[in-house]
Amino acid sequence: MDYVQAIVDGLLFGAVYALIGIGFTLIFGVMNKINMAYAAASFAGAYVSLGIAQVVGLSGDFGLPPFVMFLVSAVAGGVFAYIVYLICFRFTPDHYELASLMATIGTLLMVDEMVVQATNGEPQNYPEVLQGIFDNPMLEFSEEFAIRGDLLTLFIVAVIATLGLLWVLFRTKLGLATRAVAQQRMAAQLCGIRVDRTNATTFVIAGVLGGLAGAMIGAVVGTLLQSLVVIPLTIKGLIVTVIGGLGSIPGAIVGGLMVGAFENVFLAIRGVTERDMYVMLLLFVFLAFRPQGLFGRVAVRD
Amino acid sequence: MIVKRFYLFAGAAAVALTGVSGTALAQKFDREVHIAGFGAKSGVVRSFGVNTEGMMRAAADKINAGGGIKLGDGKMGKVVVTFYDDRCRAEEGISVIRRIASGKFVVAVGPTCSNVAEPLFGILQKTVDDKSDSGLQFPIFTDTAIKGGLAKISAWAFRNVPNETEMYKNLFAWVKKKWPNLKTVYGGVEEDFAHSRFTWYKVMDKQAKAAGFKVLGRAKWLLADTNFTTQVRAMKKAKADIISISSHPFTLCGLLKEMRRQRVKYKVLIGLTSSSSMETLQGCARQAKGIIIPTSFAPVTAAAKEASAGGAKYKASADLHSAAAWENMMVLKQVMESKGVMAKAGTIQADRRKIRDGLAALKNTQGLIGSIKRHKSGEATKPFVYVHAQGKEWKILHDPNK
Amino acid sequence: MDFYFGMLQIVGLHTILGLSAYIILLTGQVSMAQAGFMSIGAYIAGMLTVLAEMHLIPAMLIGGVAAALVACIVGFPALRVKGLMLVVATIAFGEFIRIFWFNFDYQISRGGVKLGPEGGEGFKQIRFFPENGWSTLDVAIFIWVVAGAVIAAVWWMDRSRAGKVLRAVGEDDLAAQSAGINLTVVKVSAFTAGGFIAGLGGSVYAHYTTHIEHLNFDIVMATFAIIYPILGGLSNVFGTILAVIFVQVFLLEVLRPLGDLRNLLFGAMIIVVMNFMPHGLFSAQVASRIKGVFSGRKEGANA
Repeated sequence: MDYVQAIVDGLLFGAVYALIGIGFTLIFGVMNKINMAYAAASFAGAYVSLGIAQVVGLSGDFGLPPFVMFLVSAVAGGVFAYIVYLICFRFTPDHYELASLMATIGTLLMVDEMVVQATNGEPQNYPEVLQGIFDNPMLEFSEEFAIRGDLLTLFIVAVIATLGLLWVLFRTKLGLATRAVAQQRMAAQLCGIRVDRTNATTFVIAGVLGGLAGAMIGAVVGTLLQSLVVIPLTIKGLIVTVIGGLGSIPGAIVGGLMVGAFENVFLAIRGVTERDMYVMLLLFVFLAFRPQGLFGRVAVRD
Repeated sequence: MIVKRFYLFAGAAAVALTGVSGTALAQKFDREVHIAGFGAKSGVVRSFGVNTEGMMRAAADKINAGGGIKLGDGKMGKVVVTFYDDRCRAEEGISVIRRIASGKFVVAVGPTCSNVAEPLFGILQKTVDDKSDSGLQFPIFTDTAIKGGLAKISAWAFRNVPNETEMYKNLFAWVKKKWPNLKTVYGGVEEDFAHSRFTWYKVMDKQAKAAGFKVLGRAKWLLADTNFTTQVRAMKKAKADIISISSHPFTLCGLLKEMRRQRVKYKVLIGLTSSSSMETLQGCARQAKGIIIPTSFAPVTAAAKEASAGGAKYKASADLHSAAAWENMMVLKQVMESKGVMAKAGTIQADRRKIRDGLAALKNTQGLIGSIKRHKSGEATKPFVYVHAQGKEWKILHDPNK
Repeated sequence: MDFYFGMLQIVGLHTILGLSAYIILLTGQVSMAQAGFMSIGAYIAGMLTVLAEMHLIPAMLIGGVAAALVACIVGFPALRVKGLMLVVATIAFGEFIRIFWFNFDYQISRGGVKLGPEGGEGFKQIRFFPENGWSTLDVAIFIWVVAGAVIAAVWWMDRSRAGKVLRAVGEDDLAAQSAGINLTVVKVSAFTAGGFIAGLGGSVYAHYTTHIEHLNFDIVMATFAIIYPILGGLSNVFGTILAVIFVQVFLLEVLRPLGDLRNLLFGAMIIVVMNFMPHGLFSAQVASRIKGVFSGRKEGANA
């Protein structure tokens, strides 16, 4: 029963990794580049929502429904993502990935430091708004088995967000353009698709999703501390992206849940100091035996 | 035209500035005594550096307002504080201390992080007058880095940090006396941070057993962890009377929130010294309610209140770490005056040696909440009180000295 | 003066670190595992001088070889993945090594004092330099002898046929392969050489700081390793040295009086350089221009 519980806990927390993985995979799919600043900018969105909540007094007893905070965070995430696109991708050479990789690392360091300056590096209490949805924060099925209600909500929202994203990608003109650029950039350009604009839109979409994720992670953890959690979550997000298959959105979801469950089982068996070693080993197993990931295309475009 | 005007303006400003500072110095002081502060002012631990710097500046203001430091030749010296950021990284800490040692500073107060202090003390000369040891000869008087036993690494390293072994020994004994029917302890430890790790394995665990408690187990997590479900579940199953957590505010809050969610029951909750700061109350005042922490600072005396108010002017909050920076400044004043530090350009190395010898010779110093005993190893035994979190502040629960 | 010698030590150490990534970057591979390789050199050389009481120089070489061996083993699977996958794979590998040291306990008791690495507590008292009476200047000179040897070796390699082969692979590995270059040999050798250099750097680093722990070798250190060659441009080794000076001396030390602003500027400067000089501070164009100036002068002097 203990391991079942560990797997369920891990699966639910894996939704956090999945949300971050989606952002990486979306941008990689369209631009074939890594945005190391993705998680940093997403959490910065959550900080903006927190700042606004503190100013208008939302964070105490909520005068307004919690979704306002999520909305603010999502909008801020979108804006930040656009800025990241401008300073790291728009003007760096297209064929030289190292430049944009470095620039996003620079952005990651800068955003983290900006948050540190704004908050004095202190952890910020984030309202646990997702708990409010259920009367009891834990859904207790028995003495032995319980599920965290807020993680369940996060999980459901992650699934809904993904469905929404897939709808945008496969049912709208914008999505058509995005997929066209992702598949054959040159051909898409020849068909009159404005690649720059498509790239920018992809960034904004990923950023909105990231801002939403940042706020929900804040609400689940109950505390925000950018400079401590962003880099570890970035690493996990990247691992999830590779395991799921680069550019695959369902892959990021399944990969995220898988990594979450996997690490929690090993936490239960081997303890926290060795936990992440096994996550890395899982990645190496994938790289050795299934480098295209769970859902990736076999021939990765060069 | 604009450029010319700018130059004129800059020139005038420069003249005015030098004029002002020159006259101010001429009025009261003959020379300047430079003291360096260093610690983390970026990253997660930024608030520590900000607090230390503020308390040092406030203490310098107090010393200067009282006429400054009486130097060896009877002249008066003005205390000037310069603070450097080491970003809590060993390499930068070493670079910063070398910069300080090659400057006009006679002593340094810092650093914040134990993982900086350890290598830093390692590059100092191990024993005084050992010609074969080429280590740096510069006195450091630490206010914050608290991991046990570090000062013995070098004869040039001194610390004014609380002795956690004493604190938890007394605390567990007190808990045993006050609630005699409590039998068991469950621990929690942040595994990958030098201080919290040391305090659980070498202090809390041992002292709890020494006080006659049974330690049922421990939950472990990492500094950057955000999910504690599995650890807390094991903690809940153990059904311990006392839960003793050695971790810093961020994970402490995450853990306490998870404990609340899973409705873990306990009689007494004990925390790590460093958690008795505003950060914990900022992050989770509600869940931390009642957590008992031994601390070497609380605004209980007139002196402590004065230090608190002084620090507030520099937006620094006085806690067990930063209050030590204030104490260090006062001790340094006393040592410099008794040893006759000259603070002249040519006497820097001699002044440093005098300060080192002075610090080494001290048996007792006056702290903010009582007398501090100093040891040969360079460590201190500081008085302490138990505080507990009540709403938005830390309230005194018990004063073992009374 | 000590401060400037200390600065020299840091620049030397980071140059070694940067060049270890440089040689791998030439083959078009981004290795984020350099901090991991460095930690292998650091722990092994530290254990040899402290526990086995060996002299630093053989300890350093053994540390370097150990790191090279591990890097060689990583090099093979790394062949299968490229681009982002390699970045993630090497990040994961670097973290794997770091967590390994976090769990690594090997202590012996000597004279009542416990020596050696102690898991999360780190590995303290690696005092080879002060115990043997080396002054800051001596250490700085020593570091620069090592760094100089590494610079010379990489520079020479860069100008020889080997360098051309590495670059050919970096520019287009398919074309290089069809020109008869054995990709496996080239990529794995680059990793091995990079690992050896990082291991050397790590061995010196451990003795320089006297105390190491797993957190010293985190992803920030790994990022530094690739920042130098990329900022400096991959046209030759001097770009990397220039970038080390730019980052360690200018951004971190000269700007120190700026206080809080300095930390913000650090990231911002990287963004600015990558936007305006994407091929680095010392790119091929700049290099050839400087070369032009020098050769022009030489001709003038001869005439």
